[in-house]
Amino acid sequence: MALTTKSKYADNYVDPVGKSVPRIEGRGIVTGQLKYVFDVQMANMLVGKMLRSPHAHARIISIDTSKAEALPGVKAIVTAKDTYQIKFGSNEYFFPHTVDQMALESEKVRYIGDEVAAVAAVDDETADEALRLIDVKYEVLPGVFEIEEAMKPGAPQIHEALNNIALILPVNFNNPERMMKEADLVREDKFWCPVAHPSPMEPHVCVGQWETFTNKITLWSSSQAPFKCREALAKTLKMDLNDVRVIKMAVGGGFGGKLEMLPMDFAACLLSKKAGGLPVKICLTREEEFTTTRRKHGMIYKVKTGVKKDGTILAMTGEVLADGGAYCSYGPTVLAAAMMRIFMVYKIQHFKMTGYRVYTNNPISGAMRGFGGVQSGFAIESHMDLIAKDLGMDPIEFRLKNITEPNMTTVNKMILTTNGLRECIEKALVASDWANKHGKMKHLKRGLGIGIAADVMGSKMYKSHESAGAIVKVEEDGSVYFFTGAADTGQGSNTALSQIAAQELGVSFSRIKCKSGDTEITPFDTGSFASRVTFISGNASLLAGRDAKRQILEIVAKDKNLDVEEIDIRAEKVVFKKDARLIMSFDKALELCYSFHYGKQIIGRGSYNPKTTPIDFRSGEGNVSGSYGFEAQIAEVEVDTDTGVVKVLELWDAHDIGRAINPQSCEGQIEGSLAMGLGYTFYEDLRFKNGRVLNPNFAGYRVPRSIGIPKMNSIMVETNDPEGPFGAKGMGEAALLPTSAAIANAVEDAIGVRIKELPITPDKIIKALKEKQGTQ
Amino acid sequence: MQVQLTINKKQHTLNLKGNETLLEVLRDHLSLTGTKTACQETECGTCTVMINGKAVLSCITLAANVQGEEITSIEGLAEGDVLHPVQQAFIDHGSVQCGFCIPGMIMSTVALLQKNPNPTQEEIEYGLDGNICRCAGYPKIFEAVREAGKKMIK
Repeated sequence: MALTTKSKYADNYVDPVGKSVPRIEGRGIVTGQLKYVFDVQMANMLVGKMLRSPHAHARIISIDTSKAEALPGVKAIVTAKDTYQIKFGSNEYFFPHTVDQMALESEKVRYIGDEVAAVAAVDDETADEALRLIDVKYEVLPGVFEIEEAMKPGAPQIHEALNNIALILPVNFNNPERMMKEADLVREDKFWCPVAHPSPMEPHVCVGQWETFTNKITLWSSSQAPFKCREALAKTLKMDLNDVRVIKMAVGGGFGGKLEMLPMDFAACLLSKKAGGLPVKICLTREEEFTTTRRKHGMIYKVKTGVKKDGTILAMTGEVLADGGAYCSYGPTVLAAAMMRIFMVYKIQHFKMTGYRVYTNNPISGAMRGFGGVQSGFAIESHMDLIAKDLGMDPIEFRLKNITEPNMTTVNKMILTTNGLRECIEKALVASDWANKHGKMKHLKRGLGIGIAADVMGSKMYKSHESAGAIVKVEEDGSVYFFTGAADTGQGSNTALSQIAAQELGVSFSRIKCKSGDTEITPFDTGSFASRVTFISGNASLLAGRDAKRQILEIVAKDKNLDVEEIDIRAEKVVFKKDARLIMSFDKALELCYSFHYGKQIIGRGSYNPKTTPIDFRSGEGNVSGSYGFEAQIAEVEVDTDTGVVKVLELWDAHDIGRAINPQSCEGQIEGSLAMGLGYTFYEDLRFKNGRVLNPNFAGYRVPRSIGIPKMNSIMVETNDPEGPFGAKGMGEAALLPTSAAIANAVEDAIGVRIKELPITPDKIIKALKEKQGTQ
Repeated sequence: MQVQLTINKKQHTLNLKGNETLLEVLRDHLSLTGTKTACQETECGTCTVMINGKAVLSCITLAANVQGEEITSIEGLAEGDVLHPVQQAFIDHGSVQCGFCIPGMIMSTVALLQKNPNPTQEEIEYGLDGNICRCAGYPKIFEAVREAGKKMIK
């Protein structure tokens, strides 16, 4: 029986990889039909809300919930008494002592917003009223809010850590002190990298449901890492992993902020249990989003470099002080990344840098797109330009002298294989007309600046492995179901991974139906972070496609008495490898698999764990990633010296992405990163006073909007990494790393002043111009 | 109180307290969840709908105040299976990333292009400045707006 007589796919076949196929979710998005957790409505669903500390630092004396419980419409209230009081954190594999946060605090609160209780009620107003009726008595403690103050002996003690230093991270290689003495020039700089906030458009939102009779939990969560969330929930609720199901729906952006379980996820489940199993939805307000989720670490970045006259870097030393806020979150690895990314970019043999992650009574720092690299990108790439200037060298010539090369091992044992950094610099140089513009537009108050960067394609964070799995299931009518644990948060991974699976299986992209990010149905995946998904989950997708294909080919080979090694599926057809001669169509092959004789289900599986070595945080050694990505970025600016306003005229980003699986999505990632980089350079600055966020809304905290987006040029450099799926590398973060420095460098080229403290505001420009006039 | 609303050319009779915003009515009373919000305080543009062809923030519009007006939400743009040129252009030009801002962004775009189908770059930027896209896919959004405008002239 022929289920299909003619394939609608074969006639329109094009290779899926390398094509800008539209987003799988596109039609759902533009019609408003795509469902986010934000949109979930269920019968008898309760409104959950968190009770938060109004104090930056206080001891909890008592919590009285009796009045709130008596309020009609209140269905459940939970406090720490209802929990096992098990701490959770995000770097438990490498830094177990930094697991330091309770889902609900009972002894102390450490920042304004710290969770002490949660309520579930029939509606919004009742939940709000219940929060007001919970009586918490506090003994207010002195707080500490500045990094250097918190480190002083005698400062208010926030956790047990001595001098509030949660972590000291030394990175030492060879003998920088000796090499500094041999240097012709030593330069030292200090930078301030402010606090940005991910602030995705869909706030943190979850629906928790506890089936009270079976003791199973389902959490619908707007998450970048559903499996990580499952693990933290199971651990803190003392349940088995398989008792907890985390379902990721469409996610309205994450940018690092949705990488962890938050107390709200935990509370929604516990409230549901107390309410007899009714679903409980907790959705943060924008103010809660800005004040109680996760933010970028503010960093004081001090760096000193010794160079030879010819521009060769001999040694680098430095110190990084990071404002961690009340809890550790992903802080330890963010700090490590902020110090160690440089080894991917520059050949440095003698190095000593020490990082301090310091507790303060400010909101919690954690992961945000760029993961420490935005801060180091600004500091290091500004510093490099300053050294080049001292040497009287062109900043590009100086960089080309010191950058990493293909097929080399760095001082900290990172193995760089394909490395398109040189090509990226050269392409950006040509595209921006550097030779004719740099240093030659001062009369117009215009300038050009460069920044370069590199990024990992994954990194171990909370487990000993970072594997991804995928399943390709081919049905008898030829439909292909593709299951991935990867969490698409808007970057387009469902689409890109489906393209990879389709390409490897040898079929049209439109056959694929993608199911992703459900811990009970899809294979395990550590999550969307560290630009890992295209590379790691992509390899799993490729292997699943290959496995399914092999199963089909084995049936065809058996039936036609052929050697399975000599046949393949290409472009919807089973063919001979050597001359592409047709054996049968893909649809016919599936009919054969599911025929009377064979009845063979086609279920391909793929599992991929990158070839890395665990990083040793005592030394900083380790090949953290299976592949590395590179880029060079050039900014052209014009400065109005009367008002101090800097206008970015154009940006060029040349990016070694290995291979573009979906060029349009790659451009989207680059353009989005550049815009986010513009925001960090000019206005994204979450400010605190005594631990209180001063600008917790989009009016006070400006993010990039349509006005002020300059022309952006994405230049893809394809190095075809042999380890990547079809040569691809990840690329979700790198383009954000050097933007601030490229702009600061361009400002100096235009008007001769240097801004070392972000954001670059008009008043800083005016002040710097005045100081410059004063010194002349 | 009884409130009569015309939404996407359909009449709805609702029993309201009177203090509900149009956003609440769309999402919570009528399950038209295509309209999103990211701030509920007029700063993000995500909740944009059209009232009599003008882009309006539904988070500060009282439902009871727009009786008898022509209200269009994202669900009312397509004609059957055929997408509005703006919707199609947003797909074709890769203007969607996470998608959460897109319904509001599309409503602002339609309102802009209905008045001015051939906007300058500056007019596009001003027309959409109230709508935040945190994925910051602005260049591809600008492309889609220009192309959709051309189709709407035809």
